[in-house]
Amino acid sequence: MNALAIKGLKKVGDILLPGEGAFPRFSQTQLETQLPRLMDEMYEDDRSGFILLMNIFGLLPSFVVRLILWTASFGHGSVFRQIHIGVRGVLFTLYYSGIDQQGILPALNYSTTINTKLPQDDEMQELLRNANPLTMPASLLGPTLIMEKARIAHESIRTLSVSDRLKTIKRLRFVVLKRQEEIIDAIQVETHKARTDVLTSEIFPLLEHLAFLEAATEDALKDETVPTPAAMMGKKSQVWYESMGVVLVISPWNYPFYQAITPITCAFVTGNACVYKPSELTPLQGLVESVLTEAGFAPDWAQIVYGDGRVAQELIDLRPNKIFFTGSVATGKKIMAQASQYLIPVELELGGKDPMLVFASANIQRSVKGAVWGAFTNSGQSCTSVERLYVQDSIYPEFKTLLLSEVKAMTLGVDSDGNKDMGAMISEKQVKIVADLVKDALAQGAVMLTGQEWDFHNKMIPPIVLEGTTHAMRINQEEIFGPVLPLMRFSDEAEAIRLANDSTFGLSASVWGEKAQVLRVSRQLVTGNISVNNVMVSEGNHALPFGGVKDSGIGRYKGVMGLRSFCTVKSVLVDGNSKKIEANWYPYTTKKYRLLSRLVQSLFLKKWIGFAVNGLKLETYSQKARRD
Amino acid sequence: MQYDVIIVGAGVSGSYMAHDLATKGVRVLVLEAGRSFTRDTYPRKEIDANAQLYWGGGVELNTSATIALLRPKVVGGGSIVNQALMDRFDNIALDSWRAQSDVPYFSEAGLSAWYEAAEKDLTIQDVPESTRNGNAEIFAEGFKKCGFVCKPLTRAQSNCRFEEGNDCIECLAGCRIDSKQSTPVTTLRRALRAGCHLVSEAEVKSVKHSETSVNVSGTLSTGAPFSFEARKLVLAAGAIGNSRLLLSERFNRKLPWLGKGFYTHPQYMVMGLYDREINAHKGPLQTYKSYDPGFRLKGFKLENVFAPPVAISMLVPGSGVGHLAKMKELTRMSCIEVAVRDTHAGRIRVNSDGKAFVEKELNGVDRERKTEGLKAIDAIFRSTGAREVVPGKLGIGLHLMGGLAMGTNAKTSVVAPDFKLHGFKNIYAADSSIFPNAPGINPSLTIMALSKMAASLMLKEL
Repeated sequence: MNALAIKGLKKVGDILLPGEGAFPRFSQTQLETQLPRLMDEMYEDDRSGFILLMNIFGLLPSFVVRLILWTASFGHGSVFRQIHIGVRGVLFTLYYSGIDQQGILPALNYSTTINTKLPQDDEMQELLRNANPLTMPASLLGPTLIMEKARIAHESIRTLSVSDRLKTIKRLRFVVLKRQEEIIDAIQVETHKARTDVLTSEIFPLLEHLAFLEAATEDALKDETVPTPAAMMGKKSQVWYESMGVVLVISPWNYPFYQAITPITCAFVTGNACVYKPSELTPLQGLVESVLTEAGFAPDWAQIVYGDGRVAQELIDLRPNKIFFTGSVATGKKIMAQASQYLIPVELELGGKDPMLVFASANIQRSVKGAVWGAFTNSGQSCTSVERLYVQDSIYPEFKTLLLSEVKAMTLGVDSDGNKDMGAMISEKQVKIVADLVKDALAQGAVMLTGQEWDFHNKMIPPIVLEGTTHAMRINQEEIFGPVLPLMRFSDEAEAIRLANDSTFGLSASVWGEKAQVLRVSRQLVTGNISVNNVMVSEGNHALPFGGVKDSGIGRYKGVMGLRSFCTVKSVLVDGNSKKIEANWYPYTTKKYRLLSRLVQSLFLKKWIGFAVNGLKLETYSQKARRD
Repeated sequence: MQYDVIIVGAGVSGSYMAHDLATKGVRVLVLEAGRSFTRDTYPRKEIDANAQLYWGGGVELNTSATIALLRPKVVGGGSIVNQALMDRFDNIALDSWRAQSDVPYFSEAGLSAWYEAAEKDLTIQDVPESTRNGNAEIFAEGFKKCGFVCKPLTRAQSNCRFEEGNDCIECLAGCRIDSKQSTPVTTLRRALRAGCHLVSEAEVKSVKHSETSVNVSGTLSTGAPFSFEARKLVLAAGAIGNSRLLLSERFNRKLPWLGKGFYTHPQYMVMGLYDREINAHKGPLQTYKSYDPGFRLKGFKLENVFAPPVAISMLVPGSGVGHLAKMKELTRMSCIEVAVRDTHAGRIRVNSDGKAFVEKELNGVDRERKTEGLKAIDAIFRSTGAREVVPGKLGIGLHLMGGLAMGTNAKTSVVAPDFKLHGFKNIYAADSSIFPNAPGINPSLTIMALSKMAASLMLKEL
């Protein structure tokens, strides 16, 4: 209520409740401050009607208000009766509810008590809590209610300021740091990775990502003013980055923790609710929820739904506002096909067949070490693993010798102290895929330089270097996603580029050698990301967008561009609330045509004086009505 | 589909149907516009009770602003704010229902099994005369002196512990000692234990239906939208709530009687001022009702009753010092209400914004009934030494009935005897909105009985 309305309320209050003896005048009670307790629950039109009436009373002299009330009290006509009941209702409710400081009810000798004390009704509290499908845990809900809950959560997340969202992200960073070892234990149980792999590829990049969000989100999401052309002088143009709604995130099993929290937080900081489905192979049941909850996420901000692809299909049919999928090409295509029925925007982070090109000018020692790590970290179960290694003829023998000695020195095992290089495979299914591809290559003449001891079944696949593979073989066409490195050679730059680009994938590449040469080559590669004189490192900088071309996917995440991909981009052109009539509006007349034509000529020939003169004439003319 | 049945409204009917369905394994979701409270959280001040337990911040008015309609908006509905008076309908009421509706089971015999079942779901006691307060004393004494017949009320309560000094006027805003058998203590609680889902502060604004499913949507108190789907829908949002929801979806195109046949048992409270302290607000709020065959035939009944200060201040006429002078008599007031068995139907309409308007007036017959009742009250007060009798000006409507009247004829009724809307296979109603006319008796127990009957019919189709 505005000041005038409060004045009106006190005026009418003092007429109805003038007080006497122990009973204060209404205006002495300060009860007007308690008005929201009642008004907040009134119907909007009753409330606005009441406020309007109080404003009018605020303006009128007291005796006129008294006259109106007196007239109303006769109850002739429904409007007068409504005013009478409404005004008395509000004021008497304030005065006689026992919420005053003066003791009005005690002065009336009125007091009531319930002396019986019962314990708190915990059972009902709990029943009510557990009965609400919009707040109960996702594990008890079906997809319909999960999506429903997410839509409601979105309404609350979008109203949080970006800085409030980032406070949660900061807390999350500390929770991850605090619980680091426990999280690594849990990941190791389900993935059988080497411990250092978990630290460097799940924990470290996640913390980098969170730090990036804290640093960059405010700027990335703030309203952006863009130029407004001269012909629209006086107007203002802005781009607003707003939340989309519910983001469905479907993640693979290779980095189950990193691939959970990263997209969930991208969705969250941009104001979206998230429904997250982990791979059924690495659900990390309860871990992600517990970490998010400890950081202050409400349960419905990011709901985690366990299950296989059928659950994902059901969720897509409920029309999330965006789908963020990381996984295989085949599944990515299915998701896009399903999403296309509803025109849901999809972002697909799919597989890779990443080439590594080593030129003669490269530091051999370093590039060998880089190749071994790039091919075998996480047992090759990364979309950006080195899957094809091309070495220039002149250094090939030396490179090969060094490579083999490095690979043979690797230590294997699921360790608890960080003292092993490579762990086991996550999925039985993937072990079979790797075995099939290697067998196919061997049958066509390829040779295993290392890893001969593998029985083609054991999940602990040793690092395998293959020589003698060709692009005709499946091993160089399909994604291996295992610790297998086909070693090949090239003669010159042109051949290196041709070989590297000879793939249906285009996720990332690494190029090693003298700077001018490798930058030149990098421009020629058809791929989404490049690490120059390094490997699998472009995705390590969270300010760089990440994503593939060709079969490697659609869209970019990470970086400012990536954050904005979780946004609805709203273009806004703001004009003044004036009486001005725009020159291009009706009426069209011959004269206006002539003026407009001259304006177009002068504007785009950049004859500014002509533009100014014509613009002024047109402006003046446009304000006039048609005269035939 | 996630649910078999969605129930709109967690009042008496909604709670009973939820109970009878959910305990049989039916997947039920109850949507309620009001908040949920427990005995620990009911509002304590009258301002908060009015604001938090009723639609519109306390009262709504009929279009002529002559009747204040009290429409509860809370999980538990009327059972939270009523006096839990439990009476079966007599043949006077049920014969008139049968005549109006052609529904064969409207008779004492036809409903007795359902009444019995409903009574078993709660604890019902006769209010003991030994604990009566000063207000009840005047009522009993006046009845005796005037030659009228009264008897103790029958109430759904388990243990009011008046010996501990409890003033049960407070239970008008929810019973804090769980004695009053509000549905969160009884059927609703048992329904939740059986896995029934409930969303409070969820106002249903739209109903869409097909042959096989219903979809309801609306907004939460936070402003967020929701929508749910089920095989069947139960409308349990009361006379005004049900009518409003269906009218705003234009169901009246197929159901011409929708919104018609609205009754309220208009009540008028009369204060008698005495020279001595009456303290009508202490102890049990109510003890007696009229049990006079003459009153029943004349179409009204009387109860000893009182109300907290805000409500009394609204009934006391005048303003300024004159009004305060009467308010100062608060503890020396006795109060009796007359409830009219109204014969003249009102009508509920909805405007383009979806807001309900209630057209409800007293005709000559109803005014005569009211006058007869007021005369009786006047006689009671005068015979017991009242120095002044102050009739409350404003009528009160708190038995909100009709709008979806039950009957066999689709032109003059909305709900069929199988509790489904005429011509609809999956939309049901069994609350007071289906009453064909005003029974002149407190409706709560009959709502329970009809809801149990409806649930049993529904179970056969699930």
